[in-house]
Amino acid sequence: MSNDFDERLRKALRPVDPGERFTESVLARVANDPAGSTRRVLKPTLRWLSAGLAASILLGVLVAHEWQLRRAQQGLEARQQLLEALRVTSNKLDIAYRAVNDTEKSSVGVGEDVGPDS
Amino acid sequence: MRFRQSILLFIALAACAALTVARVATAAPPGPLKLPDFASLANKATQTVDITLDSALLGLATGFLDSNKPEDAAAKEVIRGLKGIYVRSYTFDKDFAYPASDVDMVRKQLTAPGWQKLVVVRDNHQHSNVDIYICIDQGRASGLAIIASEPRAFTIVNIVGAIDLQKLHSLEGKFGIPQMQLDDPKK
Repeated sequence: MSNDFDERLRKALRPVDPGERFTESVLARVANDPAGSTRRVLKPTLRWLSAGLAASILLGVLVAHEWQLRRAQQGLEARQQLLEALRVTSNKLDIAYRAVNDTEKSSVGVGEDVGPDS
Repeated sequence: MRFRQSILLFIALAACAALTVARVATAAPPGPLKLPDFASLANKATQTVDITLDSALLGLATGFLDSNKPEDAAAKEVIRGLKGIYVRSYTFDKDFAYPASDVDMVRKQLTAPGWQKLVVVRDNHQHSNVDIYICIDQGRASGLAIIASEPRAFTIVNIVGAIDLQKLHSLEGKFGIPQMQLDDPKK
């Protein structure tokens, strides 16, 4: 009885080759490990975050560039208008200058209405 | 009841006083003119110049002036201390195609205290007038107005701010201005 039991026990505990599939199944279980799953959830989130951050930076750079371009355009337009305004002003001052210069000759006065016919 | 009425009266008086003070404080300096809306003339005119440069735009323009260019350098010098430049200039292909009343309305504003006639040119032969007014505020020039009218054109220029008449000399030869013999205001 005892020998029979020993024999059965020995048979049961004999070394058995796990086979090639054992490694695959262990790896599959490791893959299902909760610690591993946390890593897999965080990775895509971080990926999205960094992508969002990069997109925001790019958008910011583009907006700043556009603003700078507009500002430059406005500045150039303002400069053009300023020079034009000074040109018009100078033109009219020139007329007054010539009239003032002609005062001695005849018709134009400073601070009073004087015409060629007056 | 009487106490309440007194308080209400006091509040009303205080409000009136505050409004009066505010009105006096915010009274616009005589430099800037109220220019009429000439938008309707733009269609009739063969040439239109409508320039409105407030202090912000003047500041912006200054940043784009190249000091190495004589014209820009002169402009930079002239606009220092200015608060605004407003130009309305219209040229027509017919005589008196513009409402003279609008120009007269501007001319009327120049009769307000503070404005002084600097030069008035009347050329009856060519029916052209050029009026140059200067606004004096606390002994300093704070505005310049030019009204030039001809049968087929009129121009209104209003420069607001501390104008240094001597600086006008710096425009000589750059914008087609010959040297003007302006009297020294200190004299």
